[in-house]
Amino acid sequence: MFSGLRERLQAARDRLGASIGAAAAASAPATPAAPTPSGTSGEAPAAAGPAKNPSLADKVRILIIDRELVVSEKDIADALSELEMTLLESDVALPVTDALIADIRTGLVGKHRKIGESVDALVVGALKSALLNILGTGFDLTAYIKSHERPVKILFTGVNGTGKTTTVAKIGAYLKKQGFSVVIGAGDTYRAGAIEQIGVHAERLGIKVIEHQTGADPSAVLFDTVQYAAAHKTDVVLADTAGRFHTKANLMSQLEKIRRVMKPDLIVYVDEAVAGNDAVVRAAEFDRTVGADAIVLTKADMDSRGGAAISIAHTIGKPLLFLGTGQAYEDIMPFEPGAVVDELLGGAA
Amino acid sequence: MMDSLSDSLKSALKKLAGKAVVDRAAVDELVKNLQRALLSADVNVKLVMELSKAIRTRSLDEELPKNTNVREHVLRIVYQELVRLVYATADLKLEPQVILMAGLQGSGKTTTTAKIARYFQKKGMKVGVICADTFRPGAYDQLATLCAKINVPCFGDPKATDARQIVSDGLLAVKDQEVIIVDTQGRHALEPDLIQEIIDLNVITKASHRWLVIDAALGQQASEQARRFHQAIGIDGVIITKMDGTAKGGGALSAVAETKSGIVFIGAGETIEDLERFDANGFISRLLGMGDLQALVERVQEAQVATEVDMEAMMKGHFTLRDMYKQLEALNKMGPLKQIMSMLPMGNMQLPEGVYDVTSTKMVRYRILMDSMTPKELDDPSLINSSRMQRIARGAGGTPEEVRELLKYYKMMHKTLKGLRGAGGGKFNMQRLMKRFSGMQ
Repeated sequence: MFSGLRERLQAARDRLGASIGAAAAASAPATPAAPTPSGTSGEAPAAAGPAKNPSLADKVRILIIDRELVVSEKDIADALSELEMTLLESDVALPVTDALIADIRTGLVGKHRKIGESVDALVVGALKSALLNILGTGFDLTAYIKSHERPVKILFTGVNGTGKTTTVAKIGAYLKKQGFSVVIGAGDTYRAGAIEQIGVHAERLGIKVIEHQTGADPSAVLFDTVQYAAAHKTDVVLADTAGRFHTKANLMSQLEKIRRVMKPDLIVYVDEAVAGNDAVVRAAEFDRTVGADAIVLTKADMDSRGGAAISIAHTIGKPLLFLGTGQAYEDIMPFEPGAVVDELLGGAA
Repeated sequence: MMDSLSDSLKSALKKLAGKAVVDRAAVDELVKNLQRALLSADVNVKLVMELSKAIRTRSLDEELPKNTNVREHVLRIVYQELVRLVYATADLKLEPQVILMAGLQGSGKTTTTAKIARYFQKKGMKVGVICADTFRPGAYDQLATLCAKINVPCFGDPKATDARQIVSDGLLAVKDQEVIIVDTQGRHALEPDLIQEIIDLNVITKASHRWLVIDAALGQQASEQARRFHQAIGIDGVIITKMDGTAKGGGALSAVAETKSGIVFIGAGETIEDLERFDANGFISRLLGMGDLQALVERVQEAQVATEVDMEAMMKGHFTLRDMYKQLEALNKMGPLKQIMSMLPMGNMQLPEGVYDVTSTKMVRYRILMDSMTPKELDDPSLINSSRMQRIARGAGGTPEEVRELLKYYKMMHKTLKGLRGAGGGKFNMQRLMKRFSGMQ
């Protein structure tokens, strides 16, 4: 999981570290008497930036007295554009990539660095804080259910074919293992075979399903499910819905109605890890129209890059709840941003 | 987002317009904008880089042909390079054949299988379908339900676990059909057992075509997946699904590049009829957000044959409820209004958001309401007062609110069309416009 992105990020990190290191090597031998070193054209920050913010005198002072270096924009430009390509190739959407790069640039440029202090630490720090910034703090579903009034109602939304029904089954299995009682509402009354699909899953898992016929009003099904849960003191209601595109106004207002009728505690937006730039567009639109409290990213086993996680989290600023990582019921893992970022950056720092 | 990208692309093109010689800076800016447009359409990063390099060198090195200006010259190079990316359309013959469907989980194989069955059926072929998805619960029910709707025989067994056996049995069961489509379970390239399974299915079926179904939203991963599928069974056609969303389908281009095959179909909607043959011009226009002309022309022609909608009357400004009735009927056949408007090259013209909100179910309601009106009312909607409203509503089994909503929609359409007419300089004529579009291609 994410191993592809990890490799790429580590390569980019090395590159960034190297260019800052090169800049340091070039400017270190400079003496206060000859502040403009010759020969190292463009590479040395001292030669490049008398017009830039920290004045030459400042730089010299910092270099000589504090034994520190100032990172200039030029030092890291190449490495940053490489990082940009890396992110794009990892399916981080274009606007998100732009934001992330800008973030790292402001985090690095103008930073003072002690000579001898590891370049690595500086770069990793900037990358790490940018990524953590985006991925947020994660979401502990178990704790959430424990601290809320039962039944806790969870509504699943998303476009077609992202794996909502499978995710509902997996989360049902996960919660059951945690000792919660679960009921599933078969709210996808549109797609042929959807009710059968969730029915078979639930039967295998020993979970009760509330279903109506194909073509029934999904709000009614899910209302009944909530009623059932209240009457039977069930801990959690998992509400499946039909996949819909954010461009279809009538389907989105149907979802709006479902939300009004069943009053979910949590709206979970499901998308796939392999989605590209569109992930941003549709996540924003779902968030705007019906809201989203948490995200589940499916099919993470198909993709070793996981850029969609970064794109979506950055766009709607909501925590990732789970990653779907395979076809079996246990193939689901809670998302811990700290651990993931550490893993991405090779566990360093 | 896409709109602002296509805007900057257009303005970059505009900058080239007045130039006598190809200006390096202007070309660079154009290429940069093009890169951004393609990257946000999920085209493979490496492909984008190769493409922009080719465009830059060709624009600067090639001599300006006589009688063309710089803008035309560069635009033609951009277009040619893009068309090279999509390769040729995959050929599709109306002859007995076996089609094996392959693709990732949730890419829309089952829905597409039914759509393709319908496509061949409409062309007068006898079609049979085999459901080889033995993994996903409900897969057989889904396919069987869809096939029952169009009276296509569907072979499968929800209790079976061996896809190979099912397919062998199925081939016997539907051997009388001319076109046999085998729907398979979703799989991805990192699942060796499933890849072996589809290799075996390919051998068992002796498939004449192996089509890879790609979700329009699929990102950079498309290259890798397509390459592995291609290695396994030799993909000879790509189908892009879910083009009715906002995704641009650039991932499919990566698949095309990897498999060296063409795009066969495009799926854009949830009903069984929502399948189009691929058209390179249209696809590229949509990719760049610059108006999908050809597809629109085709759709309009198709719809016109069916209902003979009087586009002329509609655009003449003399727009009555009767015209709207015809128009709604035609639009129903052409697809959602927004999809159609997005294909018109109207550039920056903004239509009021409410115009798009009329959904197909609403359109049906509107037509029922209009059926309850008198000819006089249809010709002159201003006649409709509250007592007439009551009568219309009762006749249609609706409420006066619905009638009011319909009238509101009518007014909005009326105003919009007036605006359109203005934009065309008073002589706006839909059919002439269509002709102009087709001439441009």
